[in-house]
Amino acid sequence: MAEPAIRLANASAAYGGRAVLDGIDLVVHPGERVAVMGRSGAGKSTLIGLIQAQIPERVALVPQAAALVRTLSVFHNVYMGRLDRNRTSHNLRTLVWPARADLDAVRAVLARVGLADRLRDRAGALSGGQQQRVSVARALYNGRPVLLADEPVSALDRVQGGLVLTELARTHETLVMALHDVSLALSHASRIVVVEAGRIALDAPSAGLDAAALRRYFVDEEAFA
Amino acid sequence: MRAWLLRLATVSVLWGAAVSGPAAAQAPSKPFVFTGIPDQDESRLVERFGKVATYLEGKLGVPVRYIPVKNYPAAVTAFTNGQVQLAWFGGFTGVQARRAVPGSQAIAQGAEDAAFKTYFIANAATGLQKSADFPKAIAGKTFTFGSRASTSGRLMPEFFIRQAFPGQTPEQVFERVGFSGDHSRTIQLVQSGAFAVGAVDYSVWDLDSKAGKVDGKSVSVIWESPTFPDYQWTVRGDVDATYGAGFTEKLKAALIGITDPAILEPFGRTKFTPVTNAAYEPLVEVGRSTGLLD
Amino acid sequence: MRLHVLPGILPAPRWPRPGYAAVSRWFAILGLAALLAADLHVTSLHPWSDLERLLGGLVRPDFLAVEGASILYTVAFAVLGVGLGAGAGFLLAIPYARFRAVRIACAFLRAVHELFWALLLMQVFGLSATTGILAIALPYAGICAKVYAEIIEEADLSALRVLPAGSDPVSAFAYARLPEVLASIRAYTFYRLECGMRSTLVLGFIGLPTIGFYLESAFRQGRYGEAGALMLVFYALIGTRRLWVRGWTLPLLVLGAILALPPMVGSTDVGASLARFLGHDIVPAPLRHASLLAPDTWLETWAALWAWFRPILTGQILPGTLQTLVLAQVALVATAIGALVLFPLTARHFAGPVARPFGRVLLVTVRSTPEYMLAYVALQLLGPSMLPAILALSIHNAGIIGYLMGRHADGLTYRPDAPRGLNLYAYETVPRLYGQFLAYLLYRWEIILRESAIFGILGVATLGFYVDAAIAELRLDVAAVLILATALVAIAVDAASRALRRSLRIADLPVRLASTDTPRSSAPVTA
Repeated sequence: MAEPAIRLANASAAYGGRAVLDGIDLVVHPGERVAVMGRSGAGKSTLIGLIQAQIPERVALVPQAAALVRTLSVFHNVYMGRLDRNRTSHNLRTLVWPARADLDAVRAVLARVGLADRLRDRAGALSGGQQQRVSVARALYNGRPVLLADEPVSALDRVQGGLVLTELARTHETLVMALHDVSLALSHASRIVVVEAGRIALDAPSAGLDAAALRRYFVDEEAFA
Repeated sequence: MRAWLLRLATVSVLWGAAVSGPAAAQAPSKPFVFTGIPDQDESRLVERFGKVATYLEGKLGVPVRYIPVKNYPAAVTAFTNGQVQLAWFGGFTGVQARRAVPGSQAIAQGAEDAAFKTYFIANAATGLQKSADFPKAIAGKTFTFGSRASTSGRLMPEFFIRQAFPGQTPEQVFERVGFSGDHSRTIQLVQSGAFAVGAVDYSVWDLDSKAGKVDGKSVSVIWESPTFPDYQWTVRGDVDATYGAGFTEKLKAALIGITDPAILEPFGRTKFTPVTNAAYEPLVEVGRSTGLLD
Repeated sequence: MRLHVLPGILPAPRWPRPGYAAVSRWFAILGLAALLAADLHVTSLHPWSDLERLLGGLVRPDFLAVEGASILYTVAFAVLGVGLGAGAGFLLAIPYARFRAVRIACAFLRAVHELFWALLLMQVFGLSATTGILAIALPYAGICAKVYAEIIEEADLSALRVLPAGSDPVSAFAYARLPEVLASIRAYTFYRLECGMRSTLVLGFIGLPTIGFYLESAFRQGRYGEAGALMLVFYALIGTRRLWVRGWTLPLLVLGAILALPPMVGSTDVGASLARFLGHDIVPAPLRHASLLAPDTWLETWAALWAWFRPILTGQILPGTLQTLVLAQVALVATAIGALVLFPLTARHFAGPVARPFGRVLLVTVRSTPEYMLAYVALQLLGPSMLPAILALSIHNAGIIGYLMGRHADGLTYRPDAPRGLNLYAYETVPRLYGQFLAYLLYRWEIILRESAIFGILGVATLGFYVDAAIAELRLDVAAVLILATALVAIAVDAASRALRRSLRIADLPVRLASTDTPRSSAPVTA
């Protein structure tokens, strides 16, 4: 079997002395699409962060908040996904006078999330859902093989969310995404990892799972929903 | 975005300006620049030095410019850092400048400057009368000097005060001590009663009296000091190298050759006479004894 | 709305630290004690008639006597000085948070008043544009570095964390940080330009050819018509700042400023002057000829240095510092009282529709008047004592704080059955604004102290008095030590102010004036 894309062995994380993750063992192979699930506060985001810290140079990230620069245009926000692969001088020039090739490339990526016509809008002027899609486009444009996404479609409806997840899977080899929507997870992930109280409570192929089996991990939240 | 570009341009242009500014300011033919200590009303300074500039330009064959300064130390500074080559200094500022710039020389003084005097003036309300001896009755009153670095307005009066009241500083002798900044202002302050007594340059007193600026009923001279050397023209030692050999002599001859009363009158001088640094040696001693010089 | 509604006069019981009341009481007590120690003698006999003539000049200005070039130079020096200072400040702001040395250097740059910088620079660059521009640029670089660094620190960093690993720091900064902070930085820099014009005016009082040069002459010789005209021109410049300082006018302003700079009369040999200034003039006299390399003479050198320094310390630094602190303390308390009295003039609920615009104009005018110029005029009128200095400082600063408080007061929402008039003022408005009021006041403390020191040049016996004397005696080494001491006192007061603001939990309230400047927004202000 090929070299794993991600390998965490007995990993742990703590915030201010309080353990958030403890004894995590996780191996993800290229081509796998992993959905990380669990109650809020279970440590999903922390797990994503751990993976990113381990292989930062192979990761494209969709953070939980869209994390856009609100005063810059949509184009620039997406362009930032490849900031590391251009020379400083080119980056500075692009800030003022973007090259046609970059504009075309970014427009093509935006088309995949349905925002091609918003290329020149200020990011801060977009709606929450649109901002989230710009954030996804930034990761798509980044193009690194391992895509880490923390609730990448939380602000979208289920249909739109499904389309976005399909786009993500189309160009990135390996996917690890924190999701809370059980049906989206089952339909778009090949493997489900459930985090509970800082430990991995379930790690199984999605093919063998159904919504009812997963739902017991989210009892409290059902009460809210 | 555009704003950022503008900022970038601004900053780079500014750096350019800062680097090239002073160099670009140098004119190709270096003008001869002089200044004078601002010892009295500015309008009179502008009048007298403007005339001197025109006169010297005709005699020396180089462009001559006068640069006004706001206080005595600024005149000395302009001389020491080479911005001016010639200055009309008081006795003490001349000593300061020549000590700071080796090779510089006093070349001419007013005929009156060899035996200059300070007047102590008092407001009429004090009831002080003119006397030949030092007026010891001024002790305990308010007193204003002129500029801190003035010869007739500070150095010599302080020297006489310390002589009259051995072991005491002016601050101890008087209720309050002020520095008016210049002689015209000293006269105004004593005349208005803001200060009871003041020390003033006798030539400025005469000029202001003639100009009708002094109200004899409010202020009068109560003491004339012994004489001392005062104002002089001092030139830097490097002018011969800059403007050609013999320039110093030419300048000296030009100053001494001033006969036009229109130039001399605003100075309160009848003519200028040759002088050397040695004439001001006594002031060095006075400066040391009052602690104003090391 | 970021105005914290805080219990005002009474300290909240759950805070074990000193409350507003205790701090206010201590400042007032210290202010009273300082007032007893202050010299408040009026030496002039006719201050009112002089004041009348001065105001007459404002009413009947003589615009024909105004030297046009001085207006141009005032703007040119301010634009280039602030531009250079802001540019350098921006570069310094980037490493500001990380390097202590940068923070210390900036604290020192801004602790030395622009007039002191000018006096030092003049030794090397003479009376020239370089002196004028650098005297503004140096302290402004220190101020801008600090404020820009604060703005950068406060900015949203989420985009920075998402950047792909390996992005170079310059691109990362340009994309993920700069756009977030640009608007605040711009607003602050434009506000600084206004301060820069006040500073440039003041530089004229020591000989640079700005409006201040002619103002000083006019005041000194009693040409009040000319003085009035110059002041009105200056107010017009400040008042119209928003019309001519804009993003797109900046390049024109800079270019125009460079072209408009006065040519230097004569020239200094900068290299030689700088070498003499640094290598001789400001080196303490006993060290000038001492051989620092021979260890056997160290003891002697130290003894000589101490013998030189001791009288400066006991005869100048200590009394000067005491007088500076006394003046600053009285002025601070007077400012506080003045601001509390004045702010209702500009607040909707207190001043009527007729009085309010009038009050605003009044406060904006006193705010636009440099305190140094106010002090100069007051000293001409009243004679050299602390009284004119206190008046100048408290009028200017009460104007500033009163204006800002008025705007905060307009941002408050009152309950429908709130009392009116004095009851509203005492029970609602002042208690709710008191934290903000203290924040402004403590922030101005350091600024007031810096100005108190500089007023010595005008004849009050603060630290500047001794600096002036040292420069008159051509003892630049002594002057340098005194300026250094002044800077240390300013830094100490700044630190005390920050500690107090932290302990009062008002450290996060806005104190910068820039963002409050927009007349369009009447909403409460956030920095």
